[in-house]
Amino acid sequence: MSEARELWRRLRMLFHRRQFQAELEEEMRLHLELRAQEHAENGLGAEAARRTAYRRFGNPTLIGEKSYMTWGWGWLESLVQDVRFALRQLWKTPGFTITAILTLALGIGANAAIFTLVNAVLLKDLPVVDPQSLVRLGDSDQCCVNRGPENVNYYSIHSTDTWQRFRQNDPEFEELAAMQAGLGPLVVRRGHSDEAAHSVNAEFISGNYFRTFGLLPAAGRLLQDSDDVPGAPITAVMSYALWERNYARDSSVVGSTFWINTRAATIVGIAPEQFYGDRMQSTPPGVYLPIESLPGLRGNDYVHEPEARWLYLIGRVKPGTALAPLQQKLSAQLRQIFTTNKYFSSARDRPLLDRVQVPLTPGGAGIRNMQAAYGSNLRLLQWIAGLVLLIACANVANLLLVRGMGRKAEMCLRTALGAARARIVRQLLTESLLLAVIGGISALAVSYGGAELLLKLAFPSSNDVPIHATPSLIVQGFAIALSLVTGVLFGVAPAWLSAGAQPADALRSGSRTTAGGASILQRALVVMQAALSLVLLVGAGLFAQSLSKLEHFDLKLDTANRYIVHFDPESAGYSRAQLAALYRTIEDRFHQIPGLVKVGLSTYTPMESYNDNTSVQIQGQPNLYKSSSYVWANSEYFDSVGTRVVMGRGFGPQDSPTAPAVAVVNQVFVKTFFKPGENPIGAHLGGPESPGDFTIVGVVEDTTYGSVRWKDHSMFFLRLLQQPAGDKKPADYVFTRAIVLETARPMDNMEALSRRTLSSINPNLSVVKFQTFSSQIGEQFTHARMLSRLMTLFGGLALLLAAVGLYGVTAYGVARRTSEIGIRMALGAERSGVVAMILRSALLQTVIGLAIGVPVAFYGVTLVKSQLYEMTTVSGGALAVAVGTLLAAACVAGLIPARRAASVDPARALRAE
Amino acid sequence: MQRDEIPPGTLYLLILKTLALHGELHGYEIANSIQRTSDEVLQVEEGSLYPALQRMLIKGWVTAEWGVTAGNRRARYYKLTAAGRKQLALELSQFERVIGAITRVIQTA
Repeated sequence: MSEARELWRRLRMLFHRRQFQAELEEEMRLHLELRAQEHAENGLGAEAARRTAYRRFGNPTLIGEKSYMTWGWGWLESLVQDVRFALRQLWKTPGFTITAILTLALGIGANAAIFTLVNAVLLKDLPVVDPQSLVRLGDSDQCCVNRGPENVNYYSIHSTDTWQRFRQNDPEFEELAAMQAGLGPLVVRRGHSDEAAHSVNAEFISGNYFRTFGLLPAAGRLLQDSDDVPGAPITAVMSYALWERNYARDSSVVGSTFWINTRAATIVGIAPEQFYGDRMQSTPPGVYLPIESLPGLRGNDYVHEPEARWLYLIGRVKPGTALAPLQQKLSAQLRQIFTTNKYFSSARDRPLLDRVQVPLTPGGAGIRNMQAAYGSNLRLLQWIAGLVLLIACANVANLLLVRGMGRKAEMCLRTALGAARARIVRQLLTESLLLAVIGGISALAVSYGGAELLLKLAFPSSNDVPIHATPSLIVQGFAIALSLVTGVLFGVAPAWLSAGAQPADALRSGSRTTAGGASILQRALVVMQAALSLVLLVGAGLFAQSLSKLEHFDLKLDTANRYIVHFDPESAGYSRAQLAALYRTIEDRFHQIPGLVKVGLSTYTPMESYNDNTSVQIQGQPNLYKSSSYVWANSEYFDSVGTRVVMGRGFGPQDSPTAPAVAVVNQVFVKTFFKPGENPIGAHLGGPESPGDFTIVGVVEDTTYGSVRWKDHSMFFLRLLQQPAGDKKPADYVFTRAIVLETARPMDNMEALSRRTLSSINPNLSVVKFQTFSSQIGEQFTHARMLSRLMTLFGGLALLLAAVGLYGVTAYGVARRTSEIGIRMALGAERSGVVAMILRSALLQTVIGLAIGVPVAFYGVTLVKSQLYEMTTVSGGALAVAVGTLLAAACVAGLIPARRAASVDPARALRAE
Repeated sequence: MQRDEIPPGTLYLLILKTLALHGELHGYEIANSIQRTSDEVLQVEEGSLYPALQRMLIKGWVTAEWGVTAGNRRARYYKLTAAGRKQLALELSQFERVIGAITRVIQTA
């Protein structure tokens, strides 16, 4: 209580300092005057009386100060003084100040931005209740509907049957939810409205899904077990994002009927705003539907096929459950389930059974496929950003050193005048801390912009990514703390060095010096910067080369005037029997568009993320246990994508639905399944059960499907609407997913034309995705392009910082040697000689940096080669470009001060002392 | 005339006691009073009164108010507070204890 009152009195005094000083002075003046008066009355002369009074009183200034100190604000006063003085000093040297602040802001901001992204992508849990008690039954990105053994023995996707058995037999789980592994679009149209049908990413989930995550609806209700039973009316939950974007959060959406894949479904509620599904993806689901509604909506019934694995499982375990025994128990159960699975019955596959495992992994972050895909890239970027920070720190240290030494004379003068060493160190430290704080605050601004930019670079075509690139409080604290540490660390050394000067020395030596200028420490810092930026430049070059290799890979196709229309006749309500008529109509209608050359139809197209794969055997040859990808296509397909036939023929009009079923294979297929020199034409291929299904009529070039990284990709192509020879069932045609259009000239209105053409055939036939062929291919390189851009960004940043560092040191050296240079020139040195002398020392540091950086770069590549395309070591080109760039930057950084040195007027330089 | 420095730490006690005796005084009067009462033996370095008074203001032992002297000059008058009275009692008893102890030690010889 009394302390509080005391503090209050102290504070009041602080705010009335001026009045306080004035009153104290008045009080003491009165005292002195009264005393002098007394002495005068006792007979002393006026002057003697005054002096005696003073002698007895003491030094009023000192006493005033002592009185002031009593109030305990001395530290604040001198802090304010220090800060004011520091600000004035910084203001006087704007070049230094701006460079230092920019360096700190860029170095720390880049780190904070990367860390924000790492935090958002790799470290964040799902926005659900108690994410720590969630466990995922799987560990990898397996997709989408698998039946046979996996290549690895770890099973991450499971059948509906397995899920139900786990749910029944394993009481360790409070809840065990199931969710579709491979999401796909459905066609959605609001009932009783003129809204056009559009495609929406949908996820099929178990009835207990939302309950498992402990979520509450934003409106209406969420799905429950009673929605997820065979024959139940179709119900769906809409995502908050879709509700907001398409329906402006209209509350009448809840309870209304939507047409989903032409079937009536009731939207029962809206998912919570923060919830973006169980996994991070660029297009989060817009609607959630019960698993049991899938057969009705999609037509295919792997839902009730015990062997078909298509579900990810996430469970909430009861408190205190040990995961290791649970994993063993679940694995044993899965092995038991697989013993009756016909895909595990062959002699080759049976031994695999013993190795089957259900890996349990933390489920709090959901299905971490994106995290797995981006993890290594993000960690690489973290390292890179760390290197940039190191360079930035070296830069700031160098700048402060230069500044400290430049002020040596000033410090000596102060010491000579009696300033305490501690006081000088404190002053200099205040300056560097102030710099650090301003730098840290600017770094925050950079990190906000930077994280946003990184996100844009990482996901260029998506505006729905559930990642929020706002630096958290932790990141902000981290940035400020980092800049303070930098400031203190690199502020103390120069402060100590300059405060330790012997005043007499410095005052004596004046400004004339022939000693090298910059110190060993400074030069070492510049060398390190040069080395590090070389490493980053080489990295940038390699990633750029890797990207260019990817982009210039011969895909053996033709993108000129070609468009890909993805659509989904299944969602539009077509049955398989209706497909023959539909395909003919599509071909005819598109051909009616003026300018259209070829209309291809296929299950999928080159360079998209989709693949159908099956075991293959050539009739009359032993089973090689090899598989191949396959595409169903119409007769104009090969021309439409630009695949060339190299042997035999492509599909033609003669391959009618009633004609014998034919196949076209690619060159890798021939190499894989035939001996060298053997003629594949006329051979029969099929699955191991019916190898005579298709007759090979032609061989085509190895057009790239899936990814450039997929080497030796054996493929075969089948003619749409033909029946395998061994198939005696009634017509069971395949759903196509893509129309490939080749036009005679570029057509800007192709998208509108395609939409119109399709909806004129059937209003429910919507375009899932429209792209030019080139943009579809470009999408496959997004990832590599992002990496390359970021590496270039950081490499450039590093180069800039290193150049600034070199410039600073050289410029400082020149300034120190002005009079020396003056003497040289007075004695007849040529201007060019002076330039060469300055440049030589600048370049020497860069060259030493190069000598250190090159081996480091070679070592660095071995660490990141998995993220490069077909590059295992530093290429000569990348190295040459990096070395050249660095040398050029060093020349520029050295030339500016060198020219200044050469323009020194000898007479003035000598007079300047 | 011999003058002695006051023992360290007793300045507060002297000021407190002086104010207790005379009520409101300004700095010059306090200095004079201490000198007079001690028969001119105790010599305060007069300036040191002021930091001491500031400290006593912080502690809340005294309050200060501006008034006018007999000679019609503006002066700051200090007055004891309740806390100051308590402090005086405390310091007095402390002082007496110490002096008593010292006296006993000296007289034992």
